[in-house]
Amino acid sequence: MAEHDVASPGLPEASDDHDPNLGTRTPLDRLVGKGTRAAAWLVLLAMAISVFEVVMRYGLDSPTSWVHETVIFLVATSFALGGPAALANNRHIRVRVLYDLVGTRFRYVLDCFNDVMTFVFCLAMSYAGWVMFWRASHSPLGEWQLERSGTSWNPPFPALTKGVILFALAVMTLQALWHLYQTFFSPRPPEGGSEGSGASDATSDAAPDATADHKEPR
Amino acid sequence: AEYEWTFQTSETAGEPQFEVKKAWADSIKTMSDGRIAIEILPVNAVVQANQTLDAVSAGILQGHLTDPSYFSGQNPAFGMLGNLVGAWGDPLEYLEYMQHGGGEELYNELVEPYGVHLIGAGATGLESFVSKKPVRTVDDLKGLKVRAPEGMVYNIFQKAGAAPVNLPGSEVYTGLEKGVIDAADYTVFATNDDQGLHSFAKYPSYPGFHSLPMVAVSMNKGIWDGLPADLKAIMESATDAMAYDMVFTLKARDIKAVSAARANPDIEVIDMAPEERAKFRRIAQQEWKVWAEKNELTGKVYESVVSFLTDRNLM
Amino acid sequence: MDIATATMLLVGGIFALLVTGLPLAFVTGLVALAYTFGWFGPMALPLVTSRVYGFVTEYSLVAVPMFVLMASLLDRSGIAKDLFNAMRVMAGRLPGGVAIQTIVVAFFLAAMSGIIGGEIVLLGILALPQMLRLGYDKHIAIGVVCAGGSLGTMMPPSIVLIIYGLIANQSIADLFTAAITPAIVLMASYIIYVLIRCLRNPSLGPVMPEEERRASFQSKRELLKAIGVPAVIAGLVLGSIYGGVASVTEAAAMGSFGVLVAVMLRGEFSITLMQRALSQTMNTCGMIIWIGIGAAALVGVYNLMGGNRFVSSMILGLDIPPLAIIMVMMAILLLLGLFLDWIGIAMLTLPIFVPIIVQLGYDPVWFGVLFAVNMQVSFLSPPFGPAAFYLKGVAPEGISLKDIFVSLLPFIAIQLCVLAMLLLWPQLSLWLV
Ligand code: NA
Ligand code: NA
Repeated sequence: MAEHDVASPGLPEASDDHDPNLGTRTPLDRLVGKGTRAAAWLVLLAMAISVFEVVMRYGLDSPTSWVHETVIFLVATSFALGGPAALANNRHIRVRVLYDLVGTRFRYVLDCFNDVMTFVFCLAMSYAGWVMFWRASHSPLGEWQLERSGTSWNPPFPALTKGVILFALAVMTLQALWHLYQTFFSPRPPEGGSEGSGASDATSDAAPDATADHKEPR
Repeated sequence: AEYEWTFQTSETAGEPQFEVKKAWADSIKTMSDGRIAIEILPVNAVVQANQTLDAVSAGILQGHLTDPSYFSGQNPAFGMLGNLVGAWGDPLEYLEYMQHGGGEELYNELVEPYGVHLIGAGATGLESFVSKKPVRTVDDLKGLKVRAPEGMVYNIFQKAGAAPVNLPGSEVYTGLEKGVIDAADYTVFATNDDQGLHSFAKYPSYPGFHSLPMVAVSMNKGIWDGLPADLKAIMESATDAMAYDMVFTLKARDIKAVSAARANPDIEVIDMAPEERAKFRRIAQQEWKVWAEKNELTGKVYESVVSFLTDRNLM
Repeated sequence: MDIATATMLLVGGIFALLVTGLPLAFVTGLVALAYTFGWFGPMALPLVTSRVYGFVTEYSLVAVPMFVLMASLLDRSGIAKDLFNAMRVMAGRLPGGVAIQTIVVAFFLAAMSGIIGGEIVLLGILALPQMLRLGYDKHIAIGVVCAGGSLGTMMPPSIVLIIYGLIANQSIADLFTAAITPAIVLMASYIIYVLIRCLRNPSLGPVMPEEERRASFQSKRELLKAIGVPAVIAGLVLGSIYGGVASVTEAAAMGSFGVLVAVMLRGEFSITLMQRALSQTMNTCGMIIWIGIGAAALVGVYNLMGGNRFVSSMILGLDIPPLAIIMVMMAILLLLGLFLDWIGIAMLTLPIFVPIIVQLGYDPVWFGVLFAVNMQVSFLSPPFGPAAFYLKGVAPEGISLKDIFVSLLPFIAIQLCVLAMLLLWPQLSLWLV
């Protein structure tokens, strides 16, 4: 539903009264939105230290040992956390051909199906992410030991990145569960025809829009 | 086949090492009379190069033929056994150490807790040093911006006065071409030449002096332990044969590419003088000592290599 | 179940899930999970997250957030608007002039980046709303942004060609040289197409009224300033790549740093502006990256299942002339392009195709260029057209995926023509090598 909540390009003054990053469906989504606002500054940090590395290497002939690995870590973190962020804002791209053709009742079925599938995906991924993180944070003998990069600087970024991936997947699982709950327990929409395909892109979740929970300020 | 396995390698399908590894799988199939069929996959086919240890350990892959330096972050001993920079003047010295100097036993001590078993060790041959600036002496390394990946190579170049840059392999080509870096720890001479690096990095070193990566042929320990003795013997002897096949195949290619490069007036192939090689090795040895302190196993590797080299008057 | 059936079910499953409206990021990922679980059991599930780890730590992708940040800052400051106003003035009486200029801008962008994603988002945030604002036809504007924005992997530096060179063990220098002419041909074809359409129907790319044109920029200095700032930034990025100052990936960071400085110099900087730009970057990257994550996971599983052996035996089993085999390969690439992203396609097919190409006696450099053009098509082709998805993520409201794909059809046709030219006339790429 918030696909168009992305700051409308070209018209910053029109979109700036609404923060594009506030989650839209549940309180958890809004919390994720707030967290994303903070995490987004990692990208700026990554840019700044990249420029620092260029200056040090080209200008002063003394390349750093830590910038490349840190930049990859920062960007990987922002990529991983971008998953829950996009889920909170319903920014993940979907194909809407069938959705636009059918009536509200069938849309409701599709919503239920998609919410279940999203939840199953996130849950299975979280399990796999947990196994991956456990291996990266324990020695073969089962002691706590973080996997490191093996470079001269040797930071524990591999273990941390895997931890961030697990965190992102776990948050997505909770988000998906909450969405599922909302879709199932919202009043079902009355049987109706297609709601005008012209407005097809305006809302992606026609059915849940009927519930009070979704009437968040835009 | 009775046993159907998937092994991942650390090369792309176009590299000659990949063909050698496929030949290894073929010979195992022949020797075992079709009881073992191994599928050889290129790098990143199933998981990333630095994740194969986990994948073999979990049984996702049944084995891998790879450079253990990728796992230096799990235990620095992987870096020491996998590429002890400056230690080996010739791949045959290294193979002797692994097969008859206690190297393979140490490697198994390292890797068996992960649920992985080393079948045998191979080596690629000395990697060539690609450079835009002539490196004839150790002093020429001063201030040289050289790409150095994981393992001990970074610290050793730093000790030698170079300015190492930690850059991923996919950036080496454009980085060298445009002059972001002056030199790179990359791969063997013929492959560097195939990829066109010598058209702008005109001062390659051959034979190289810095890096000789191991090819660790290993598989899931649970599967290995359950194999009958005849199949184990087949796997081991095929792997020993592959080690020599790899060294000599790559050497033949290198020699051909080197003579073509020598004939090219634009390229100067540098063969570093023995006293300069010794100087570089002395610098490298200081770093081995640092790594020896890291844990019990790295200490053992250090002791074992030093005594091997001393016995043969190579120190 | 044999691999052929499994392959068919896999493709069918992807399409079925796509149609239900499940987010793409979860479609391919879910299929990957299901196959891992069904084929290898729960023990193998970490394979999927291992692919996720590999994908997000890919160094060349670092350029993506840098480009998105650059775009977001340019857009939120007045720089983009000024630039396009100036471009419109400079376009003079030429119908479709701004669209043509956008293609030229895209071409310069292509010379400073090696991947798509960042570029399309940049053009989608900057150029698309501006062209719409200036009354340009929606379809022309969208097509120009997506087709132009995909050129980054044709023009050197190109990560597609680097990966091809590494996989095929070919000279990357030769690949870069061979790709330049086809890239220019593609750009020129896009320009000619836009020109023909707009000359025949000027309302598709309306010209600025004369009096408005005189009024909009009082002085030449103002016009120069509007063009000058972006030109200096482009110069900074290109200069740092070609001058050996920064790696291709670092250059993207240099570019967004340059934009940030420009925004500050214009007195438009504020914490709110920065926060909004960064939030948009994070959201957009989340959308882009998670599409790739699913595909990367799928390729890992398929390879483990023996998918590569299956494809290879299928091709080698064909008893047809060499050129027909190449056509079959092209067809496979285009088919895969319907539902995988390029990294997945490269990982899956190149280890199989390149040895066959060499065996048939064709030049692998030429095939590399063919591969790159194929990838251009795959970026645009529905239903899995990454370029369309990236644009959808940032396009103004009211533009649907259907609009985007419809707009792309003529551009896909152009790409296929160029592909056919290259097939029949290899010298088009190889004459410089
Ligand atoms: Na490019
Ligand atoms: Na496509």
